[in-house]
Amino acid sequence: MASFPPRVNEKEIVRSRTIGELLAPAAPFDKKCGRENWTVAFAPDGSYFAWSQGHRTVKLVPWSQCLKNFLLHGTKNITNSSSLRLSRQNSDGGQKNKPREHIIDCGDIVWSLAFGSSVPEKQSRCVNIEWHRFRFGQDQLLLATGLNNGRIKIWDVYTGKLLLNLVDHTEVVRDLTFAPDGSLILVSASRDKTLRVWDLKDDGNMMKVLRGHQNWVYSCAFSPDSSMLCSVGASKAVFLWDMDKYTMIQKLEGHHHDVVACDFSPDGALLATASYDTRVYIWDPHTGDILMEFGHLFPPPTPIFAGGANDRWVRSVSFSHDGLHVASLADDKMVRFWRIDEDYPVQVAPLSNGLCCAFSTDGSVLAAGTHDGSVYFWATPRHVPSLQHLCRMSIRRVMPTQEVQGLPIPSKVLEFLSYRI
Amino acid sequence: MSVKSIPLDGHEFIIKRRHALTSGTIKAMLSGPDRFAESEINEVNFRDIPSHVLSKVRMYFTYEVHYTNSSMKIPGFPTAPEIVGGWLMAANFLDCYTR
Repeated sequence: MASFPPRVNEKEIVRSRTIGELLAPAAPFDKKCGRENWTVAFAPDGSYFAWSQGHRTVKLVPWSQCLKNFLLHGTKNITNSSSLRLSRQNSDGGQKNKPREHIIDCGDIVWSLAFGSSVPEKQSRCVNIEWHRFRFGQDQLLLATGLNNGRIKIWDVYTGKLLLNLVDHTEVVRDLTFAPDGSLILVSASRDKTLRVWDLKDDGNMMKVLRGHQNWVYSCAFSPDSSMLCSVGASKAVFLWDMDKYTMIQKLEGHHHDVVACDFSPDGALLATASYDTRVYIWDPHTGDILMEFGHLFPPPTPIFAGGANDRWVRSVSFSHDGLHVASLADDKMVRFWRIDEDYPVQVAPLSNGLCCAFSTDGSVLAAGTHDGSVYFWATPRHVPSLQHLCRMSIRRVMPTQEVQGLPIPSKVLEFLSYRI
Repeated sequence: MSVKSIPLDGHEFIIKRRHALTSGTIKAMLSGPDRFAESEINEVNFRDIPSHVLSKVRMYFTYEVHYTNSSMKIPGFPTAPEIVGGWLMAANFLDCYTR
């Protein structure tokens, strides 16, 4: 059983360039808990990178320093090399504002992470309350961690202090995501079959419970304009929610097994979902049509085989910032970079036990976390976007598919704008 | 080597030939049988494209040539949704696909 379509010669596919790796430290003898690296995340302003390195701790590293270390010291960078840190501290005596590394002990197995930063214009949705315990400033960066016991802890990234403890989920909080508009609305997805919407500007008040899943919820993602939320879960579930009214818009049918990851394109016109049925689907979230299928197993498995243990589960999918590339991680020990107009990967890289991936804020690096708490980094494929694509993204950021279909333009341009080519 | 582009309202643009060849359409126009073999400046008429659109297209040519064969990080190319419709039609006509 092959990993690529029969007409593709595997040896001709370009191998991605490795940038670096952050290896998990050796397990201390007194820590019983195992290794868990179910999420990696970059801060929205690109200043920090966080991942769960196992043993209930989350490590935060300043991203630009990390990149510099990779360039200076080659690709290997053991996380607990204190010699580097000491030399920095000695020379930076007077610079208090330089971002520092933190290791946060969360007290329980960490399943999900998300960074959030505040935009002052976006006020809390609860307009009645005159005072709040926390006034999140513009330069404050928050990290939300979702734990095994259902709690969500909110930390201040620069000081490493615990700010809020959100208690309501009864099971593992499998995914967390902040609304991209800076309103500090946090959505959590849990194995208790619900998603909860929290307003951090209102001291973490829980605003809404989204019910509809019949089984575990694995992941959630906001559309870039914060109007829609996608949630995916066990039993083939892909749901789209309206985040102004908190109602379900649509159920997207098509996968044959649990759907475990989802991500919107930067213009909100495309939605990528990854499933244990060996496939990544690219959907139009406005109409519910499947536009592309990225297969990881050839010949494609029959529905019964796709719906069971097929050794080719796709674990994670992420859209790049140019809106043209998608990265996926599958159990066949490979990271694949896809272009949205081809059905075979343009670049691959080897990775064992990969669980999660995320593009850096500027889109130039892909980080992938593995089961043992390590993270590996590759350069994303470099591609100058065509002028048509740049125009398309600019238009689609503000126009859903239905509006595009009504434009008085030639049908070929219309198809292009709707990503149907 | 330059190409003179003449849009709808007559405001002429001089574009480097290497940059202009980003457009498949211009490439086809310049290699057709009726090009001016004697003069350095080749002229191309675009009767449907206004000059503000063509000036942005010229900026795109520069951006594309600059970043295509280099290893620098590719920055974003600034666009705005209100005026981007014209660029899309022009880009479609000019067949600006990168190679």
